[in-house]
Amino acid sequence: MVDGVTLTMGVAGSKLEKALGDHFPEGERYFGLENFGNTCYCNSVLQALYFCVPFRKQLLEYYTSNKSQGEADENLLTCLAELFSQVSSQKKKTGVIAPKRFVQRVRKENEVFRGYMHQDAHEFLNFLLNQLVDILEKEPHKVTSENAVNGPSNGHVNGVAKEPLVTWVHKNFQGILTNETRCLRCETVTARDETFLDLSLDIEQNSSISSCLKNFSSTETLNAEDKFFCDKCCSLQEAQKRMKIKKPPRILVIHLKRFKFMEQLNRHKKLSYRVVFPLELKLSNTVENADSEYSLFAVVVHVGSGPNHGHYVSLVKSHNHWLFFDDENVEMVDESAIQTFFGSAQEYSSNTDHGYILFYESPDADDK
Amino acid sequence: MLDITLESLDIYTIQSTPPSNANVLVVTTSKTVTRRQYSRGCSDGPIVSPAFSAARTTYSSGLTPHLADNSAAEAAGEGIFAMHRVGSAGNTSNSVRNRKEKRLTYVLNDADDTKHCAGINCLAVLKPPGPDGNDYLFTGSRDGTLKRWALAEDGATFSATFESHVDWVNDAVLTGGNALVSCSSDSTVKVWNCLSDGTCARTFRQHSDYVTCLAAAQNNSNVVASGGLGGEVFIWDLEAALAPVSKSNDANVDECSAIVNVLGSPVSNTSLRPIGSNNNISLHATQSQGYAPIAAKGHKESVYALATNDRGTLLVSGGTEKVVRVWDPRTGSKTMKLKGHTDNIRALLLDSTGRYCLSGSSDSMIRLWDLAQQRCIHSYAVHADSVWALASTPTFGHVYSGGRDRSLYLTDLATRESVLLCTKEHPISQLALHDDGIWVATTDSSVHRWPAEALNPPKVFQRGGSFLAGNLSFSRARVSLEGSTPVPVYREPSLSIRGTSAIVQHEILNNRRHVLTKDTAGTVKLWEITRGVVIENYGEISFEKKKEELFEMVSIPAWFTVDTRLGSLSVHLDTPQSFSAEMYSADLSIPGKPEDDKVNLARETLKGLLAHWLTRRRQRFGAQIPANGEIPSGKDLSTRTLTLSRVEGDGSLENDYAVYPPFEFSVASPPSIVTEGSQGGPWRKKSTDLDGTEDDKNFPWWVLDCVLNNRLPPRENTKCSFYLHPCEGSTVQILTQGKLSAPRILRIHKVVNYVIEKMVLDKPMDSTSVDGNFAPSMPGGQITHPVLPPDVSLATVRAYIWKKPEDLILNYRLVQGK
Repeated sequence: MVDGVTLTMGVAGSKLEKALGDHFPEGERYFGLENFGNTCYCNSVLQALYFCVPFRKQLLEYYTSNKSQGEADENLLTCLAELFSQVSSQKKKTGVIAPKRFVQRVRKENEVFRGYMHQDAHEFLNFLLNQLVDILEKEPHKVTSENAVNGPSNGHVNGVAKEPLVTWVHKNFQGILTNETRCLRCETVTARDETFLDLSLDIEQNSSISSCLKNFSSTETLNAEDKFFCDKCCSLQEAQKRMKIKKPPRILVIHLKRFKFMEQLNRHKKLSYRVVFPLELKLSNTVENADSEYSLFAVVVHVGSGPNHGHYVSLVKSHNHWLFFDDENVEMVDESAIQTFFGSAQEYSSNTDHGYILFYESPDADDK
Repeated sequence: MLDITLESLDIYTIQSTPPSNANVLVVTTSKTVTRRQYSRGCSDGPIVSPAFSAARTTYSSGLTPHLADNSAAEAAGEGIFAMHRVGSAGNTSNSVRNRKEKRLTYVLNDADDTKHCAGINCLAVLKPPGPDGNDYLFTGSRDGTLKRWALAEDGATFSATFESHVDWVNDAVLTGGNALVSCSSDSTVKVWNCLSDGTCARTFRQHSDYVTCLAAAQNNSNVVASGGLGGEVFIWDLEAALAPVSKSNDANVDECSAIVNVLGSPVSNTSLRPIGSNNNISLHATQSQGYAPIAAKGHKESVYALATNDRGTLLVSGGTEKVVRVWDPRTGSKTMKLKGHTDNIRALLLDSTGRYCLSGSSDSMIRLWDLAQQRCIHSYAVHADSVWALASTPTFGHVYSGGRDRSLYLTDLATRESVLLCTKEHPISQLALHDDGIWVATTDSSVHRWPAEALNPPKVFQRGGSFLAGNLSFSRARVSLEGSTPVPVYREPSLSIRGTSAIVQHEILNNRRHVLTKDTAGTVKLWEITRGVVIENYGEISFEKKKEELFEMVSIPAWFTVDTRLGSLSVHLDTPQSFSAEMYSADLSIPGKPEDDKVNLARETLKGLLAHWLTRRRQRFGAQIPANGEIPSGKDLSTRTLTLSRVEGDGSLENDYAVYPPFEFSVASPPSIVTEGSQGGPWRKKSTDLDGTEDDKNFPWWVLDCVLNNRLPPRENTKCSFYLHPCEGSTVQILTQGKLSAPRILRIHKVVNYVIEKMVLDKPMDSTSVDGNFAPSMPGGQITHPVLPPDVSLATVRAYIWKKPEDLILNYRLVQGK
């Protein structure tokens, strides 16, 4: 089985190299990832993260500065760093790599991913980013040095490490939402900030990311049995609540809630709704009202009609080429093919490949 | 010296030996006690095993009488007890638990009854038709009451309190001569005879959410409209609604659940005659059958403002839909919808003819609408923030407006000339013109009358300082940004009706009897809620600091909750958790009661609260009350009594009605009782106004069971399990390896006595050496440690020192006598 895969890969690899020809980007590696039995949720997310250039850069830097660490200190971060370094230092330009140690580590850390069941790619991404943050926060000195390297100082350098640490994972993915609640009686506005690493959006049939974002920050009235306790009124009152993006992240990860819990069925159902995601996204509902512009660079695609089975693949943009990663397989695709992953306007459609997690990068954040 | 009462130290041996490495008992001083625990209190002190909590549910959901009998339970060992409970877990349903029992709330009044103690939401002025009568002002407040004030040139005198609403009074209107109609967040509309001593004539319970606003036609008492959250608007024909119950077989019978006061005389549409004062919580309530108001259906969202014209031929409504809707009140049908505002509509006015409409909105604009043309003909940017209140001169030539920006403006609707009359300290909630002045209600508890030249508004403009109102909301905002805020024409009100400061912050102290409060004036006070009095007034000091200062390392279950939405303390009692707190008689200094008697705080508080009612009731029923205190109407309760247990301990029945001094409530400023019985919805009444004729059905059954039958519901676990181990390295004999169980409130010195007694029984000891102290030991053989203070309870040790879910382990050693 493995041999067979390797064989086809050899062909595919050369195909990809041929297709790129002289355009093969300098120093770039396109490697498929071996599937260890339903680990496509992991492979698809890893590919998207690998081609998230600022994240990869910082992870490789981390790897270089932490190489000396022994096996005993192995954790999810070191495993991921090692895997990325392994890919980037391959002699060949294309091929297949088995992310064995990383997957073993994931299974060790979290029993949810231990089995060979189909897993949710978004849940995995969330788990991974939070684990990375936790690990980085536990090594404050290294974070400080990283910070010093990575731009403007923010307090820790002065030794005043009171405020929560801002790791480079935060710097890439973290944004701030503000939750504004206005009591309809005294009209006092209570604002509460919360951080996020990704945005989970409710979706509708025949909609777009912009309209989903608009719904996300639309006003919700707290009323009837769900009134708001207003501190000023000392009582329950109607209130209007809305979420705004206060600080847009450098890399905006959007998770489309395609798996909806159907109460009458008592199980999750996949929504194959057509949700258009543009290559260039303008974020207009921010607090500062300054539009933030983003470019799409990766899409994790769920293939299949149900939530508990199916397959994950990813689309990645690298050096202006779009690549299609399906576990061991790597192919080039045309940019126009992206729209086939929007979803379907009919409920039952033969096309079951739907964009599930979208990775947008803010180009203007690069130069800082 | 050995005749110690070991009242409830039961011994019981368990099979498994306690964990040997867990014999840590760290005694800390209060400085290491975390504040988090302070606020959490002790309800989480005893952590029971899953088996135990499952058992508790079973226990309270109805079981065999012998088990329910608390005295039997007392006698049984803890382990046996637990096994019984678990055994019956499978075959009993949780239905009793799941149903939410009615709660009893008492509202504590600090000052006299003649002042509001929370913000004023509404105003109404009554001018008698004759020349000789008094003018009256009616105020409705967030404190849940309305008050009537007799007005004279030089002042206002308190003349009556209308107390029946159980939540904020949001609006009030006068109609048909003597009828005062009020609406409240308690979702009721109430009708009062405005000249009575505060008698509620009728309660309408048609609304299902807060009733926010009312409108009454000046010349047609048949039209009163009420609007509220959820978009509910009803149009009432007061004459029909208040008519005696007719035997109608109308299909709408169930829809209208208005309460009729049977003592009320038939009401004519011109006047509501005063109604006998003796039974004014509508206790003998019956369903009003046959009358249902007209519903103005079609609002998609909550309604915050209503207005009608003089004849009641038009009704306008506004709310979070941001549109003014126009209705025909006779049919409840929509006639038009006016768009223009960009936020909630908070105030509306119609001119007497019904052609023009004024609206005030949270978008800070005032708009003038021509209903004939169905369009907005003027928009006035006068305020810098939301407009909450409007009042116009009879000719609709000028409008007075107030709002969140605390400013009162007068605007000439034709010339758009506007002038700032005065600036208040609080947002303005309502306005009422009175002769040439204007009454201004704010979110503060005081009401002020300001000069306004209401009879001749142009006179104000002659004083200068006017500006032209813009017609876009930002234009006014720009003016204020540039610092050219107009100077108010008036500096001082011409008349003031002072209220008392509303309580805005509170903290229940650890002893679960005292509550620290802070009011709008910054005054910090300490209340004893079992007596409903302020025991200390600290003045204007830091609430937080005082809170820290009053911290006590005591753990007593949370037996009540408190809120301050009425500006005063509302203490809520719920069954069964309110019966979870006990104290020793000695700690409450109850004279003539054995010091080891356990006093249930909720039971004694209820007795104190209802003392007046109980006395009057006993006088009424006299000998009819059986010696065992069975309620006459006990039929309804018989099904529940199975689950109840008699109070253990203090047996004698003569004692039952006696109110102990720590639970004596003030008669001068009595608390108000708010509760709900098996019928009629929630009611509120001063405890001293309960005259004993009230039907028992108006009280929650558990309250009656407690105060009349001396029966308490099965309690949360009042026991605490622990092990007694000799101190490591100590040569003291080992008393027992088993688990012990005792009341949570048992003091450590009792445990000491127990140990001494056990030792002495085995081997007589030198009397000088038996002041045996507890020296808890640390692992690792350290020997000297702080000793547990003798007067702390097991619950306190558990919550503040042990801090672990496992059973408490107490170590003891002998201290050599000197």
